Formats: sequence, C-alpha cells, structure tokens
Amino acid sequence: MKRRNFVKNMVLASVGTPILLNEMKFQSIAKQLFNVAKSAEDRVLVIIRLNGGNDGLNTVIPRDQYANLTTQRSNIIIPETSVLPLTTETGLHPVMLGMKGMFDSGKLGVIQNVGYPTQNRSHFRSMDIWSSGLINSNATTGWLGRDFDNHYPNYPADYPSAQYPDPFAISMGYEVSSTCQGLMANFSHSVNNPFDVYNLNGSGVINDGTYYGSHMEYLKTLIDQANAYGGQINTSANAGNTLSTMYDPTNPLAVQLQYVAQMISGGLKSKVYILNVNEFDTHSAQVLSTNTMQGKHADLMKIVSDAIAAFQDDLQLLGIADRVAGMTFSEFGRQVASNASLGTDHGDAAPMFLFGNCLDFSLMGPNPVIDSNVVNQAGVPMQIDFRDVYASILKDWFGVPTNEIQPLFEHTVTYYNLLGACAVGLEEEELSKQQAIIYPNPSFGQSSIRFVAENEWVKIDVYDIQMKKVAEVYDGQLNAGTHDISFELLGLGAGQYFVNIQKESGTFTTKMVLVR
Amino acid sequence: MPDQGTGNDISYSLTPYTGPWTKTESAHLLRRLMFGPTNQQMLDAVSNGMNATVTALLQIPTVGEPLTISPDETFVPFGTTWVNALYPTDQAQSQVIQNARNISLAGYHYERMNKEPFSIAEKMGLFWVNHFGATATFDARASFDYYALLRANSLGNFKQLVKDVAINPNMLLFLNGASNNLFSPNENFARELLELFTIGKGPQIGAGDYTNYTEADVAAGAKIFTGWIVEGLRSDTVTDVTATFTPSLHDTTTKTLSAHFGGATISANGANEYADYIDVIFQQNEVALFICRKLYRYFVNYDLTAAVESTVIQDMSTTLLANNYEILPVLAELFTSEHFYDISVRGALIKGPLDMMYSMLNGTETQTNFDLATDYEMQLNVYWVAETLGQAYFEPPSVAGWPAYYQEPSFSKLWVNATHIKERFDISAWFAVFGGPLVNGNNFRLNVLTFLDNLSLPSDAVAVIDDMCDVFTPKNVDATQKLILKAILTNSLPDFEWTLQYNEYLANPGNTTFSDPVRTRLELTLNRLFQMPEFHTM
Repeated sequence: MKRRNFVKNMVLASVGTPILLNEMKFQSIAKQLFNVAKSAEDRVLVIIRLNGGNDGLNTVIPRDQYANLTTQRSNIIIPETSVLPLTTETGLHPVMLGMKGMFDSGKLGVIQNVGYPTQNRSHFRSMDIWSSGLINSNATTGWLGRDFDNHYPNYPADYPSAQYPDPFAISMGYEVSSTCQGLMANFSHSVNNPFDVYNLNGSGVINDGTYYGSHMEYLKTLIDQANAYGGQINTSANAGNTLSTMYDPTNPLAVQLQYVAQMISGGLKSKVYILNVNEFDTHSAQVLSTNTMQGKHADLMKIVSDAIAAFQDDLQLLGIADRVAGMTFSEFGRQVASNASLGTDHGDAAPMFLFGNCLDFSLMGPNPVIDSNVVNQAGVPMQIDFRDVYASILKDWFGVPTNEIQPLFEHTVTYYNLLGACAVGLEEEELSKQQAIIYPNPSFGQSSIRFVAENEWVKIDVYDIQMKKVAEVYDGQLNAGTHDISFELLGLGAGQYFVNIQKESGTFTTKMVLVR
Repeated sequence: MPDQGTGNDISYSLTPYTGPWTKTESAHLLRRLMFGPTNQQMLDAVSNGMNATVTALLQIPTVGEPLTISPDETFVPFGTTWVNALYPTDQAQSQVIQNARNISLAGYHYERMNKEPFSIAEKMGLFWVNHFGATATFDARASFDYYALLRANSLGNFKQLVKDVAINPNMLLFLNGASNNLFSPNENFARELLELFTIGKGPQIGAGDYTNYTEADVAAGAKIFTGWIVEGLRSDTVTDVTATFTPSLHDTTTKTLSAHFGGATISANGANEYADYIDVIFQQNEVALFICRKLYRYFVNYDLTAAVESTVIQDMSTTLLANNYEILPVLAELFTSEHFYDISVRGALIKGPLDMMYSMLNGTETQTNFDLATDYEMQLNVYWVAETLGQAYFEPPSVAGWPAYYQEPSFSKLWVNATHIKERFDISAWFAVFGGPLVNGNNFRLNVLTFLDNLSLPSDAVAVIDDMCDVFTPKNVDATQKLILKAILTNSLPDFEWTLQYNEYLANPGNTTFSDPVRTRLELTLNRLFQMPEFHTM
C-alpha cells in the first residue's frame, strides 16, 4: 500500500528551543524510517477461503461446554478426550495437529465468534458480505479492491507499469477473487501454475462504448496483462525456492501454498494471495457415523491444517516468515445443533485463524456459550465483527492510515492488535489526539516526537522524574496534521524523563528514557 | 457499466421486430439460442424468415438415452442403455459401474451439444441446469432422470417444473431433502427454493427478513418438505430411483408463512402439501420478475438497467403471468422483439466455456462421427477442457449456478481472466492446429475442409474470410484484422493463388497433395480467429 510521504509532513521547528538537528542528522533519521517503511511494502497477506460455511464448533472446540455441546450435536461431536487442547478451555479438531503446533509456538492466532450483525444465512449474500466488507449496501467492490482503488487509480488501464510490474494480488486457481474487485476491474490475477509461459496474440480492438466494445477492451487488456503479468510470475517462480519437506503433493491447498512460497521468495511483489478450499457446506455426512473424528469435515480440516503448517515451515526456512501473514475465513459458521443427516445447517458466527510470525495475540475472545436446550435454528452469536478484523489487518499489516481505512467501511471501525508484533516503523502508527511517539526511545540525546495537532498552539516541555522542567522543545502555532519535531537534550544525565505536550485539544505526557 | 448513452436510441419494446432480416440478425438469434450455428443454418434462417425460424427453434426434439461404452459396465451390453439397469450388490463394484455410467452420461450430454439439432433445446437445458444448480448425484440413473426432466420441460410450465424438481431424487439428494424429516428438519432445499429458484432474495430489511421472505418462511418450508425419501439408490433389486412420500416422517402441523406471503397457512396435505406451498409462492408476482430477469441475462444481456427493468422485464413477466407461468410464450415474444435485435445488445455477452468450445466445433461442422466409444470419449475431452475453463455441466460451482450468470458487476466477464484467456488460446490451437485429442487412433480435430466446402464461395479468399467472421464473431472484425486473416489464408500471396489452390483441391478429390495445403491454411486462419477477442463474445 502507498504510504503517506512522511518526509513532506515533517515540520522542523526553528526557533527558541534546543532543536539542533542539522540537515545531515535529519536525513539519516528520515532514511532510517523510510527503510522500515520499505520493508512493510514487501509484506504479503495470504487469504484462505473456506467456502461453504465452516462448522466452527467442530473446528475450535469449547472444551468447557462439552455437556451442552453433546446435547446439541450428539451425532457429530468429537470425543472430548481426542480434542487437541490449546488452552484448558479451548481445543482444536483432532486432525489439526499442524495448526496446534503452530499455536503452541505462537504462530497461530484464533479469533472466536467472528461474524457481523444480523447474520444473513444465504451462502451467496453472506460471501458477498465477507468479500466486500459491506453489509448494508449492495456492494460491487471487495474490501481489498477498494483499498487498491485508493492507491492505484485508473486500474487496469495504466497497469502493469514500470513502477508496478507485478499483479497487486494473486488468486490461485482459475478464478479471480471478489475480495479484490475494484470499481473498474478485479485487482487479482489468477494463477493456476506460476511456471506456465505466456505469449499470447493481441488484436486491434477498440471500445466504442457499447457492451460489446467494453468486452473487447476487457479481453484485450486481459491478453496484454496475461503476457506482462505472466512473464513476471514466471520469472519469480523460477527465481524462487521452496525448502519445506512438509508439503503433501496430494493436498491441493499445500500444492498451491507451495507455489505461493515460490513466488514470494522469487521476488514477486504481489501483496495479497487468495486461495480457496471448497465443500465446507456440510449439511450431511460431515462425520462418519462410525467415527465422528473422520469424514468430510475432518478431511477438509486436515487439508487446511497440514497445508498451512507446511507453508509456515517453508516461510521460516526461506527466511521470509516476517513478511508473510495469513488469514482464513468462511461466509458463516453452522448451527449449534446438528441435523439428523450427520451434518449441520447454515449458522452465524465462527472462528477465524490468523497465522504468521507477527501475531500480537494467540486466542482472542471467549468460548461461545452453548445452550443446554436445543433452540431451533440457533447459531453462535457474533462478538467480533469481521470488518474490524479486516480493518486491523490493513492497519497493522499494511500500515494503511486509519483515516483511509474508515471510509472503506460502513460502520465505525474498532481496531484490535492482531499483527503488530513485527513493528514496521512509525509511519504505521496511528496517533490519537492523546498520543505521542518519541523515536528513538531510549534516546541517546537526539530524538523526535510525533503527534497530531489541530490548527492550534502547542507547547512541548521535558520534565525529569521530580517533575522539574529540564528542557523546552517547542512553543508555537502548528497546522492541523501529524508533526514530527526533532530535539536534542543537552547536559542531562541518563534516566527517565517525561515529555509533556500541551495543546488546546488536550494535554498529555509521554515517558522517554535517556541513555548515555 | 459501459456507456450506453441516454438510451434514447435503444428500443426496449417487445413489439415484433420489423427491421432488416439478414444474416447479421439471424446469426445473432442463432448464436444466443444454440451453441454453434453454422453458416448454412444462418442462411436458412434468413430465407425462412424470423417468425418461422423462432418457431422452429422453440421445439424440443426428443433424444435417445446414454449408451454403454465402458467394459467396466458389466450389467448392460455395450451400446445399450443403463438408465433402467441394476447396480451390483458389492459396493466397490457398484462404484466402478457408477463411474462407467457417469462417463456415459457425460459423453451423451456433450455429444448432444455437439450434434444439437436446429433447436434451443440444449441451450435451454443448460439454462435450467444453471438455474437449479444441482450437481449430478451418486446414482447415474437418478442423474439422468434429473437432466431429462429439465430438458423435456425446458419450455414448459415453470411452476410445474419447480414442483417436479422439488421432489426429484437428484434434487432431494443434492439439497438434503431426502434426509429432511419431522424429527430433524433440514433447511437446505427450503432456503434455496426461495432464494434462488423462485422468488429471490431482496435486501435484508430486518432480522431474518429478506424483503420477499423471512427466515421463518425457510423454517416453515423445511417442515412442509419433510417426509420425502429417495428409494432405489444403487439398488441391486430396483431398476429406478424414486422419491416416495412417507407420512410418518412428515410434519403435519399447520405452517404459517410470513406477511410476504399474506400470512398464508399451509395445512397438512400429505404428498400434495409441497405443491400447495409452491402454489402460494407462485401467487407472488415477484416470482415472474425473478425468472424473467434470469432469462434476460442468459439470452439477451447481463445489464439490467433501470430502463430494462421497467420495460422489458415488466413486459416479459406480464406475458409469463398471463400464460400462467408457461415459458414458451415469453421466449417467443422476446426472440421476435425489437429489443432482442437492438444493436446495443449484440455481442453483449462473453462466451462461456461450453459456448466457446461448441461454437468452435459446431461452427466448423466438426462432429464426432467415429464409433460410439470414440465419440463419447472425444466428448469427454471437451468435458475436461471446459471444466478447466470454468464450466463443467454436471458440477455448477454452487447451487446458485455459475457466477458469470449472476455475479455483479462483471457477469460474463467472469468467464475469462488472464489465466483463462491463455487456456482458451492453447485449447483452440490444440483443436485447430495441433490435431486435437487423439482417441482410439482418431483425432478430434476441426473439420475445416467440410467447413470450407460449405461456405458461399470457397474459392474466393475474401469471401472465405467474410463468411468465417460472420460465423464466429457477433459484430465482425475490422478491416485490418480481416487483412491479417486473409494474409494467413493466402500465405501472403495474391488472392488468385488461393483460388488456384482451392480449385486444384476440388479437381483432385481425396488427394492429400492438394487438400493438405488448403487444410493447413484454413487451420492457421481459424486459429488466429479463435485468438481474437471478437470470437469470445456472442
């Protein structure tokens, strides 16, 4: 995603205070920040869609609800003793050994009870909602597509370009992903096999403004893109590598994830990869009548778990694990009570998985509370809105500013700490009015402070731990926006200090540590 | 959405079209109603006139049954049908036979598309396969019955078809109706019946309220459909799969529908109760609008503009309601209407994989006419190819059908992406230039010489290219592209050289010294044409 050009935003105060940053130092700090930002540019999000509505209650199992769970779904329940424990209260389906291992090593996060208000139980409508991130409007764009639209206007006509030679997103298989649907076209490029070679003929068609003309232009663009993007993908795949021995060639998701690892390690700059696993619509024969630990659902979860574990292993071995994060989603969970066909019908909320090296959390949200009575058609109530998960990923992972994220959604966004463990630098941080960041901190004497001001008078002072003022940093009028003010602390001993910011919009204090 | 101007110049009228009736118009009609019309069929349609042509197309000829080709089929002799045969008792053996019958079923259906008569039958059959979205089930006899039901009634009464499909074993199995019973209602069919098959889902206007129906209606519907079971599956004693109503499994409570159905109640009525319910659904005029939109998108244009909605769709649904949900009068009116022939909708659809494959094959008069086993297996190759391109007849990706027929905003654009376009080019080149699939020593390659011989003036290079573009592109190609095509055909020699070559070929029948060069030039020319965007629209 495109960053704010923070260098332009930097405000250098010039008078009255010990702000002694010379041009050289300024540049070096700016360069340092910019480099961090560059590394965030390389970040990749892998999205795995569990198509059909995954049964969350047989995936992430509330171990503290077993009695009631048995009442609700006696014919499909996993034996309690076979559940793979994550915590004392929560466990995974017994086939998910790979993801259990990832959880134990901090590389898998589980968000419980994810959904949205007023669940729609139609596959199609609900998948549209999850793909678009919009509930009320009849959305025609995807959540990622809207963000791409913000940053890469006039797509597809102006792309690929010298600056952006690679597809923005890759959809594995033959279909593009509706999560990447932009206003004019889909930002994802479908790749079945990255080793295919492209060399297609063009044609001299023009768009005369008719439906037909629009198709001609579309097809022509596809041909050009297929050639251009195909070459990039091909080059990357050939340059890339794969090192894990855990991939099972009969596991279709594993095969595709291995291709993804190959493309990422080969230097393809695509930001998003989307993969799909079908057949989660388990109305019947979800489990075997003879063994509830086996059957269609167990097969699917094994595919997912094995493949993700192999992929993570590969990323570690390739040394690119800090650049890649993953997410699973499904259009809804299934009803709490099973049906007589050894299956479950369309329900409401369900867990989501995030994976990677940079997780801020392991298990988020409480177990669903299972009713002791069977309530007809009851689903798991939602507690965490999936749109907030999307928004948090955009913020944490791609460093999209919150003022750009909020307009992508209809509701007031709430942010969770999901993927911030590998800090990507200051420009990723979104400051509230009551927040400031001092960098570097601990400081060797020269630091900067970043904060948000309205068009207002701002006074910044530094106090020691006895609350005695030891330095004045800034005193003057500032325009609305984010400001970075550099300062130097001279003649002060090592220790803790407090930087106090007084503004008409609020006064607050931030701690800093001085080292010598 | 493309810019279609203010629409002042577009006719939205269903009044009979009275404009020019030339090959351009007849080809438009045939391309939409058939998979791959030939040059001769387009010319015949011109001479027969629009009305007679539409009348002829709106007949559903009877077809035979799938025949056995696999040696694995041990219950039925080669070349005879298995649709009323038993399955073996042994489960493993039963699966082997099921596979053999599925292969036969696929070969049979695809051969029908390849050898389609002058009729809407195959296109219309696919319309319903997409509409009801079911995949083939695990007893090929039940699958065959399901597809036969859709085809035979494809121009019949929509309400009756929904009733028949509701208790068809293939559907009962696909949407869990067969396990939907008093003790554990399963909502799967009841939901899709409303959402996708009849009234459609409107915006969500309240908790569980989708404008046209509610979650409570789904739950009531599930109860209404309880009690239907499927018997005879993979049976070693019964030769047919049947749906049976079992009173003891049926919920006999009175079901009350929401205000969207006027709060109607459905009382216990045994094996006829489901039909009572469907009658109530069809009392809502929204059902007529819903199916007319789908027909419009399939046959005319994906873009339901406000103008189309308020004119064409309204008028179609008025006709449908006036005819008590008979489909044929609606289509007869549509296909002879001013709007259908309006220039704005020509070429407005991108061909799906089946349209693409069979326009290439049928348009060149390429049919499988070897022996039965070879013919079916060649068609199976098309099955796998079209599946790779995103369309397998027996496996719509979901119960909503193929996204290209319903997914806004891209619709038929979804048939092609940068991967598919390469696959399409590779595949057409395979059939046109590289010999096509090799089956039992025979190549399934384009029949280019027959195609050429049946053009209006095969010895004239310009006329050949003109005809070729008429057959395969909805709005022709520009002059430059025609010159490129002609240069390929003549190998960049003067046109008269083609005439000489063709005449020598005519004068020496059966002599490959003369026919091979002609064949090669034509194959290369068609190959280029199939790689033009124009070919991929209709």
